[in-house]
Order: sequence, then structure tokens, then C-alpha cells
Amino acid sequence: MADQASFETDAMQYAPQLYSAALRMTRNPADAEDVVQETFLKAYRAYDSYTEGTNLKAWLYRILTNTYINKYRKQQRRPSEVELGELQDMYLYKRLGEASGATQSAETDMLDAFVDTDIIEALEALPETFRLPVLLADVDGFSYKEIAEMLDIPIGTVMSRLHRGRKALQKKLWDVAQQHGITGTPHE
Amino acid sequence: MSSGCDHAIEYVYQYLDEEASFFTKSRIRLHLRRCPPCMDAFEFERHLKIVINERGRSEPPPELFDTLRALIQEEREKNEPGM
Repeated sequence: MADQASFETDAMQYAPQLYSAALRMTRNPADAEDVVQETFLKAYRAYDSYTEGTNLKAWLYRILTNTYINKYRKQQRRPSEVELGELQDMYLYKRLGEASGATQSAETDMLDAFVDTDIIEALEALPETFRLPVLLADVDGFSYKEIAEMLDIPIGTVMSRLHRGRKALQKKLWDVAQQHGITGTPHE
Repeated sequence: MSSGCDHAIEYVYQYLDEEASFFTKSRIRLHLRRCPPCMDAFEFERHLKIVINERGRSEPPPELFDTLRALIQEEREKNEPGM
């Protein structure tokens, strides 16, 4: 059982990460701040139910994710799984490979041309169903099991959404790469 | 493309996410040692994961910390009317 008096000291270090995650979820700074404030208030009130020594970051993220879903999901149209279409595995790797010719490891070097705003744009373009698992896994480093608990879905569903979400992210990054001329001459 | 390549590509994310079983991990490791194209593809995906992790974040507004502290302080005082 955790002591409420130490909540501020314990939890404040996670505020920047929580804010960043909230901003990727809501895509709006004012809404992100609202979600983080509500998360901190709920977490403070419930802090005696948090078991000390367990993963505090995951506990806070669970509250954050629930707060976001309860507040915003009902406003959004649920995209169907079909909407993403069928994309090839390793989509970006293959496209960059075609663009760079046969040079070994050129694809990996090309990744360095992506700047923060490119990555953020691609993440925020994902439909919410796929955006949340991708954010939680790739930006915040949570395990499949932790993500399953946060989103209240089976691990198999986490894996399939991650798989599809990452492919869609790669497609978007490819579009961004072309727009910004990362691949050399922009085409299409 | 061999069946070893198909297997490696099918489990690429589980492998990189450190979620693959011991057996799957060993099989992939063995395959990657012998298959430079798959090794190259895995290196790409691993690097992409790092790029997303490092460049997918935003900084909070500086006043966020004060806002959160004030919020908790207010909540604390509400529950301790004698303070």
C-alpha cells in the first residue's frame, strides 16, 4: 500500500512522458493537459490502492489510457480493421530499398533523415485503434501483457493491432519521406 | 526466400519486442547468422523502433508541473479541512 503523502514525489517524474503520450492520443495540447490533470487527480485519490514496488509507470499509464478512452473515444468514429487495407510486411524497408537501389544498408541510413515532426505526424495519422498499441509499445516501451491490461483486450489482439498499426505507420512514413524528398527525387 | 526467411519475417516484431519464445528466438538467431538479407531487414526494423522511440515524443509546457502540484495540493486541503 502506497502512502498518499509521497504521491507527488513518486509520480511527478512521469509527468513529461504522460503528457507526451496524452498529446499523441488527443493530438491537441489543451486536451492533453486535461487528460494528464485528470489522470493525476485520479491517481492521487487511488494511490492507496497502488501496491508499492510494482510498476508505477504502468499503473499511471493505465489510468491515463482509461481517462483518454472514456473522455474521447465516444466522440470518434471507430475505424474498421479493413480500412487500413492489406499492406506488405516490412513495407518501408522494401520501398526504401527500391528507391536506393541495391546498396547494402542504405535503407537503415535513410531512417536518420526522419525528423521528430515526421515521426509525430505519422504516429498521429494512425487510426486510434492502432495508434494506442503502437504508442504504448514503440514510444513508451510497454510489454504486450501490460498493453493488454491497459486497453483491456487479449494479448492476441494487441499483437495483431500492433502488427497492422506498424505497417500503417510505415506506409505513412513512406508518404512523408516522399513528400520531403528523403528518398531522393519525389515521385507520384 | 526460404522457409527460414518466412519464419523470421513472421516473428520479426515478437523477436525485436523481446516477446518471442526461447525456441523462436534461437531459431531466428540461427537463421540471421546465415542469411544476410534477413539480418539487414532485422537491423532496419530494430533501427526504426529506436527512431520512433527517440523522435516520437513532445516536451510538456513548463507550467505543467506547477499546475499538477497545485491540483494535488487543492485536493489534499479538501480532505483535511483542519489544515
